[in-house]
Amino acid sequence: MHDYRSMVELLKEIQALEFGVYELALFLDTHPGDRRALEDHNRLVSRLNQLRKAFEDRYGPLRLDSESPYPYRYINDPWPWEIQY
Amino acid sequence: MWFYEKKLQYPANVRRCDLAMAKFLFAQYGGPDSELSAAVRYLTQRYTMPIPQAKALLTDIGTEEMAHWEIIGTLIYKLTEDATPEQLREAGLGDHFAQHDKALYPHDAAGVPWTAAYIQATGDPITDLHENLAAEQKARTTYEHLISLTDDDGVIATLSFLREREVVHFQRFGEALMQVQEHYQHKHIFC
Amino acid sequence: MTRAENMSKGYQGGMRLAEVYIPIQTYGETFDLKNALMYGTIFPELYRPYRPVHRNPQ
Repeated sequence: MHDYRSMVELLKEIQALEFGVYELALFLDTHPGDRRALEDHNRLVSRLNQLRKAFEDRYGPLRLDSESPYPYRYINDPWPWEIQY
Repeated sequence: MWFYEKKLQYPANVRRCDLAMAKFLFAQYGGPDSELSAAVRYLTQRYTMPIPQAKALLTDIGTEEMAHWEIIGTLIYKLTEDATPEQLREAGLGDHFAQHDKALYPHDAAGVPWTAAYIQATGDPITDLHENLAAEQKARTTYEHLISLTDDDGVIATLSFLREREVVHFQRFGEALMQVQEHYQHKHIFC
Repeated sequence: MTRAENMSKGYQGGMRLAEVYIPIQTYGETFDLKNALMYGTIFPELYRPYRPVHRNPQ
């Protein structure tokens, strides 16, 4: 149970970081020449990759193109709609 | 192509089972201004966009709408999780149960199934972007109606997030429309 | 272009009639990420929270 809560907390950190990345990406779609937004985007992407890797090492793959230990761990519960956040 | 990411865009919680609210939320799962309509609309229109900014934006907002569709599905799933057939019937979801049990079938709040007739792709980028501006406003209004129909703070927080995304998308589609209009003016002058 | 030329081309106040104009956002301050996710945007200037109309107590 303790591990479940820390899994959810880490997931929420990823959600916050990924939301920032997505929001800046939409901004960049219509502002491809905005250097400051691009730098902020790239900085968040690098932090997101680190955090995602930390999550996946501990709790299993978030994507099917992430490496998995044996047996294949991507399929494991809980799925996103089953989690109490 | 797409990869699924095993996570919601927003941490959607509900406080309790609320079948009436689940029924209302079908408006955004399979109604005219639903997240499903938004996703299919933008991902269909993007092929005939004339400039890279608009191709990218329709792809990325269309993809985000799929994530919103999943959030609405999660709310409905959680709100109905513990319900019995009798309770579903009392909440006006007896028709739904008869055909779909507790599956998340894409229909609107009144049970009308989703149809591609809810969306348009005219091949005229200016026209299509105007449709998208209107679609974002219609979805924002629907979220305001839905927020007024519940006192569950988990549902309200989630719907408020989705409503705010409509505001941001409106701004982005507006910017794309300005760029497409400019693109055609230059073309008109120099060609 | 003179004012008359502008008018004949359908311009008024630097803008073309029968055309939509939306200001292009400029990049400024952003919310911290935890709040941005709760608000639904990273941009303070686009944050338009909804205040629901209170229902009549029955």
